[in-house]
Amino acid sequence: MPAVAAARPFREGLLKLTPPRLLGSRCGRCATVTFPPREFCPGCRAVEPITETELSPEGTVYSFTVVRQAPPGIEVPYVLAYIDLPEGVRVLGQVVGVAPEAVTIGVGVRLEPTAFGRDGDGTELVGYRFRAASEVTA
Amino acid sequence: MTLAPAHVAGAGMIRFGKYPADVTLERMAVGAARAALLDAGADLTQIDACYVGHVFGGPVAGQRIAAQLGLDGLPVSNHENYCASGATALREAWVALAAGLHDVVLIVGVEKMTDRVAGGVRPDPGDLDAAVGYVMAAGHGLSARRYMADHGATREQIAAVAVKNHAHSVHNPFAQYQRPVSIEEVLNARPIAEPLGLLDCSPISDGAAAMVLCTPAGLRRLGLVAPGPRMLGCALVSGSVRPGTGDVNEEDVSRRAAEEAWKLTGIGPEDIDLVEMHDCFTIAEIVRMEGLGLIPRGAGAAWTAAGETSLGGRLPVNPSGGLLSRGHPVGATGVAQACELTWQLRGTAGGRQVEGARVGLSYCKGGTVNGTDGGSVTTLVMSK
Ligand SMILES: [Zn+2]
Repeated sequence: MPAVAAARPFREGLLKLTPPRLLGSRCGRCATVTFPPREFCPGCRAVEPITETELSPEGTVYSFTVVRQAPPGIEVPYVLAYIDLPEGVRVLGQVVGVAPEAVTIGVGVRLEPTAFGRDGDGTELVGYRFRAASEVTA
Repeated sequence: MTLAPAHVAGAGMIRFGKYPADVTLERMAVGAARAALLDAGADLTQIDACYVGHVFGGPVAGQRIAAQLGLDGLPVSNHENYCASGATALREAWVALAAGLHDVVLIVGVEKMTDRVAGGVRPDPGDLDAAVGYVMAAGHGLSARRYMADHGATREQIAAVAVKNHAHSVHNPFAQYQRPVSIEEVLNARPIAEPLGLLDCSPISDGAAAMVLCTPAGLRRLGLVAPGPRMLGCALVSGSVRPGTGDVNEEDVSRRAAEEAWKLTGIGPEDIDLVEMHDCFTIAEIVRMEGLGLIPRGAGAAWTAAGETSLGGRLPVNPSGGLLSRGHPVGATGVAQACELTWQLRGTAGGRQVEGARVGLSYCKGGTVNGTDGGSVTTLVMSK
């Protein structure tokens, strides 16, 4: 199958690809930043002004688990973690580049794009995960 | 605002477990409903409406059940709030009785899971968490890891929830599992979502539970002169979008559910003699009890290990065996909890009886929604 030129984010408005950044929303009234972006501010319930904001690609692990059983179609094991970003935002995502036994709370990670399958037209869908900032082994 | 309580005329369930594929959802529901009707001494012609809680039962499961039960033609409603579906059906029935719409109603919680759910339950595919590999067990693994780091709790203390609940279920003839497990068995079980293993997780189960609730006029219709326990009320809240990077175990949604329950029923935390808690995972029992304000923050694991939440302890939690041992057919769970409260408050719970139980609370938490601290939460209060 020929390479499909236009890979695109797996969901509209969630991330941009060059450079890879998650997109959040920022409240113009109370400065609360949210991911995923929402059309209201969960801090003060304002619906405007809400603007799109790029989130820092670097964060730290707040908590993590190693998933060893999942429904059919999900390959195990994988590390799933809450990642805290400097904007005061917590993102759930998988962490790679580190042995499951070596992950710890507080470890630094960096956002990276990753394949999230293809759409009906064969276009590659791009999602996100995190890579341990320095290679850690058990 | 306090609504009139609903009287419990009858409670019944079938044993939870794994049933063959030819034991249909409808057949299980009919079995539980017949037991509740028999317990109430109620004829089919005395029932005004049916409230049915389920998640995976498909369209109009409640009407399919009613048609096999002989309650066709009545108002029948289907209630889906994931694992709080059965409790939500109870809540809506209570509201209708308090409003004077009906006098005698049947509530059924039912689920047939073993032939349609494998590898654990997960959020709706449309939810962002599902896209990054979230499964329910993972959420509780994340919770447990952080709880241990923040409160110095040990893996053994968390495992003690499973040991306690399995010890209780030895005395519950309706429980899927009726044998004790040792702390070593829990610790050495196959890992599912670390630090949690297989015995930290409630099973995928089939089952059904039912209640007959009524007004004072309904009690007279059924000829019941000695009214049984009363359902004082059931609060329902949903998780709220939590911006920021706060404590994942804060359980603000449980705090709000407790506040609503106290407000609706006039009962306070000091009045609660026993709790049927939604222990879908060991750690969940701990953080939810803390969220309700029934155990001090960070103390739940140590309380469990010290026996404070065991039968005979300071505040018995899950005398039935809970979801971990009774089983967790998700739509049936909330109704099974209410059945257990009924038997406890009648003083007929046998070897798992909480001595002197006067007021009980049951808690369900159903589903997850990305960015929030939960899907649906119910807190149901019953008194003697
Ligand atoms: Zn705001």
